[in-house]
Amino acid sequence: MDSKALAYFAAGIGAGLTIIGGAAGIGRLAAAAMEGIARQPNAAADIRGAMIVAAGLIEGISFVSLIVGLLLVLLK
Amino acid sequence: MISALVLAVALSSPAPSPPAAHAEEQHDSGHGSPAEILMHHVLDRPLGLPGHADYGGLHFEPTRHLLFFVIVSGLVLLVVRLALRSYRAGVPAGLGSAVEGLVLFIRDDIAEQNIGHDGRKFVPLLCSFFFFILIAALFGLLPFSATSTGNISVTMGLAVVSFAAMQYAGISKYGVVHHFTGMIPPGLPKWLVPIMIPVEIVGLFTKPMALMIRLFANMLAGHMVITVLLMLIPIMAAIHLAFGVVTIPISLGLALFVMLLEVLVAFIQAYIFTLLSAIFIGMFAHPAH
Repeated sequence: MDSKALAYFAAGIGAGLTIIGGAAGIGRLAAAAMEGIARQPNAAADIRGAMIVAAGLIEGISFVSLIVGLLLVLLK
Repeated sequence: MISALVLAVALSSPAPSPPAAHAEEQHDSGHGSPAEILMHHVLDRPLGLPGHADYGGLHFEPTRHLLFFVIVSGLVLLVVRLALRSYRAGVPAGLGSAVEGLVLFIRDDIAEQNIGHDGRKFVPLLCSFFFFILIAALFGLLPFSATSTGNISVTMGLAVVSFAAMQYAGISKYGVVHHFTGMIPPGLPKWLVPIMIPVEIVGLFTKPMALMIRLFANMLAGHMVITVLLMLIPIMAAIHLAFGVVTIPISLGLALFVMLLEVLVAFIQAYIFTLLSAIFIGMFAHPAH
């Protein structure tokens, strides 16, 4: 296989693996947030704020690998 | 004061356009592979406006992202001025109350929570970050416009300003020497200190770099998804016209949904950039000991 084909292949697999990690992390986060809100409904606003912040941070990490994938596809 | 700092942020982050990227993307009539059309839509392009300069190897020219950077900065200043003008006897009305709500949120929940009692010094800077990122992202959803924060030079400028604020917070309180020696946590065994020094130095730079990449990638990815969804229509139409017609409502519906998601993401990313800047500034204004 020539290097361009390998690059596309690697970008695809990398994107797939990244989304596994990101979705697993955010899923766990959402589950914990749901449980916390269920236990204490009057803390719902605080929990929601913390959940949004943590989701944004996790997405930030997964976007770094998106950039790596884009570089693999777009550079010669 | 907010306007002065917005202007400082705007002027401190120029966005030079690398000439190599433009040599490859000629503005053709839209024919080309889907990847080319996508990149043509999302990346930076020079406009035909006058005025350019060449310093060394860099070529400065008004590009789309720079134009919208300037437009968005002007819009932020305009919004704040209009909000200030709506104050009647100390009580704001309409736009003023919305802006005041956001500024109070930044002052109380972001600055004072994370920087502590001297957080008020940094509120103008954090407000500048928040309003600029928010309005740049919302503006990029309009047709024929570009999200200026989707350019890594712009987000690098914002991250450099954030980095400078972090150093200012530490150095103005503790002096240069104590600011840097205070980064190493106290109570470490002696053999661990030479390992901690490069770790802390690298950490000093990765924090703003993570801010930069997070904001850039969020804005870029959002626009790429919207463009890809809308480009499904000509791709399907190239196979057969009926496919193209059927794809129109699906594609438009999905693109509309992603645009709504982009509005939410704009708020969240502006909040996260501002919050993390405040946390990092607080980490240097009040180190562990």
